[in-house]
Amino acid sequence: MFTPPLDALLVFMVGTPVIGWVIRKKAYTKVQGIYASVGLLVAAYFLYGLSLEVSEKGIVLIAGVPPFNPPLGACLQIDTFSVFMTLLYITIGLVTTVYSIKFMERDSSLTEYYTLMLGLVAGMTGVVFAGDFFTLFVFWELMCLTSYALVAFRKQKWESIEAGFKYLIMSAAGSATILLAMSFLYGMTGTLNFAALASRLANTTSEGWLYITLALVIVGFGIKAAIVPFHTWLPDAHAAAPSPVSAMLSGVMVQTGACALIRILLLVFSSAQPAWQTTLAIFAVFTMFGGNLMALLQNDLKRLLAFSTIAHMGYIIFGFAVASQEGLTASLFHIVNHAVMKSLLFLCAGAFIRQTKTRDLRKLRGIRRAMPMTSAAFTIGTIAIAAFPPLNGFWSEMMIITAGVRAKMIVFSALTLANIALSVVYYFRLIRIIILEKPTKASKKATKAPISIVIPILILAFLCIFIGVYPGPYIDASSKAAEALLNIETYIGAVLRGL
Amino acid sequence: MISLSYYIACAVVLYIIGLYCLASKRNMIKLVMGLEILVNAAHVSFIAFSAYVSPGYVDPLGHSVVIMSIGFAGCVTALALVIVTYAYKHYKTLDVWKLRRLRR
Repeated sequence: MFTPPLDALLVFMVGTPVIGWVIRKKAYTKVQGIYASVGLLVAAYFLYGLSLEVSEKGIVLIAGVPPFNPPLGACLQIDTFSVFMTLLYITIGLVTTVYSIKFMERDSSLTEYYTLMLGLVAGMTGVVFAGDFFTLFVFWELMCLTSYALVAFRKQKWESIEAGFKYLIMSAAGSATILLAMSFLYGMTGTLNFAALASRLANTTSEGWLYITLALVIVGFGIKAAIVPFHTWLPDAHAAAPSPVSAMLSGVMVQTGACALIRILLLVFSSAQPAWQTTLAIFAVFTMFGGNLMALLQNDLKRLLAFSTIAHMGYIIFGFAVASQEGLTASLFHIVNHAVMKSLLFLCAGAFIRQTKTRDLRKLRGIRRAMPMTSAAFTIGTIAIAAFPPLNGFWSEMMIITAGVRAKMIVFSALTLANIALSVVYYFRLIRIIILEKPTKASKKATKAPISIVIPILILAFLCIFIGVYPGPYIDASSKAAEALLNIETYIGAVLRGL
Repeated sequence: MISLSYYIACAVVLYIIGLYCLASKRNMIKLVMGLEILVNAAHVSFIAFSAYVSPGYVDPLGHSVVIMSIGFAGCVTALALVIVTYAYKHYKTLDVWKLRRLRR
C-alpha cells in the first residue's frame, strides 16, 4: 500500500484496539504496551530495508494506480532526509513507549493510548515521506488529531482539558491556514505535487500571490513549530500532557512542523528564497528570546522545559534560515540532539512527578538523595542541553553558529550565541535545585523509580554522552540528509522524468 | 459566468470572519464553529479553483482534497466537542475566559 515501515505502523495502530478487545481484563496492563513496542521494532526493521533501497537509488517513488502517476495522482517520495527523520521518530517513539508501559499502568483506557501513540509516529513518518501536498495534509491531520487526543488524555484533570482545548483551537486554525495556502498554490499552478509545483513556480509571473501564499505557509506550519507569536499553546500542552507524551511532542513532533516547512520552502518557494530566509531568521531570534526569557521565570519543572523547547526551536529555525549545506546539517544534527536531550529531561521529569506527585521546583529540591540514578541522568541531560563541550548539545549549537557566521548573518549569529549563554542560567538553576539544595518534605518521602522506568532514561543518557564523544557518524548522516534536502533537481527529476 | 475573483474574495472574507470569531468569541461552542468557518473558507477556494484551473473542465483533484478535508474537519470537531463536554462537566460553564487557571 504505502511503504513497508508506514504500513507496519498503520497496521499495528489498527491492531491495538483488537488486542485491547481480546485481553479485556484489567489485570493485563502491559500487553498493549509490549504490542506497540513490537510494532515500532517491526517498523524499524522495515525502515532498514527501505534505507538500503534509498541509498542505492537516491529517491524511492511510491505512486498510485497506473493512469494516475505523479504528478497527477498522490505519491510518496522518500529520500535520505525522510529516512533520517523516520529513524529518529521510531527511536524516540520506542523509548517513550517502553517507558509508558510502567509509567501509564495506573491510567485507564491504555488501549487508546497506545493506538494514539502509534498513530502519532505514523503521522509524522507520513509527513516526511509525502511527495505532494495532498498526502502531506492527510498525514499532517493524522499527526494533529492524535496529538490533540494525547494532550487531553487524562480527561479527569482540569489542566489537560484546558490545555487540550487551547492546543486544538490554535493548531486546527493552523491546519486551516495550510489548507488555504494549498488552495492558492493549486489555483496558481493546477497541481499539488511538490516537484511539479517547484518546476511551475520557478518562473511565475504572479509574484503577489506567491508572497501571500508564502506568508500563509509560514504561519500555518509556524503554529506547529512554535514560532514565537504562535507559541502560546506549547507550554500549556507540554505541561498538561502525560510525561511520555510531552517527550514525544517536544522531542519530535514540534520539529516535524519545522521539517515540513523547510522542505516546502526549499522546493516550492525557491524563487522567493531571500525573502523567506530573512523572515525565518527574524522569527528565529524572536523565538529564542521568547523561550529563554520566559523560561527564566518558571517555577514549574515541565513548563520550564517547554519554554526551553521553544528556545531550541529558535536555534533550529535559524539553522534552516541559513539554508546552506552547513546550516541545514547543523539544524538536522541539532534536531537529533534536541530530541535525545529533551526526551531524556521530560522522561526524568515524569519519574520525579510520579514519585513525588508535584511539578513545583520549590518542592523538588534535593531530590538527588531519594532518586540518585534519575537525578544523575537528569544532570547529564541538563549539562548537554546547556551546550557544554563533552556532550552532544555543544557540537550542534556550535555548528549552527559557525554556519550563520559563514553565511554572513553575523548579527543573527551573535544573538544566537547570546541566547545560548542566557539559557545556561536556568539550566544551572535546575542542576542546583536537583543536586545541591537540602531536601524538602516531598523529596525526602520519594522512593526510587522502578527499574523499567529508569532503563529508557539511562539509554537516552548514554546516547547523550555517546553522540557527544563520537559525533562523526551522526554529523555524516545529517550532512547526507541536508544534501538530499538541497538537491532539488534530483527530487523534481524523479517525478517529471517520464514527461 | 461569474469571474473567479468573486469566489476568492468570498473565501478570504470567510477566512477573516473565522479568525475574528476565534479571536473575539467567549463561548467554546462558538469557537468550534469558528474553526469550521476557517476550514470552509479554504474549501470554497479549492472548489472555485478546481472549476477555473483548466478551462472547460472541472479538475477532480480539488474536489478530492475537499472531501478528505471535510472528513478531517468532522474528526476535529468531534474531538473538540468531546473536550467541551468534559470542560462543561468540570466548570459548569462554556465561557473560555473563566477557564483561565493556566494563566501564570
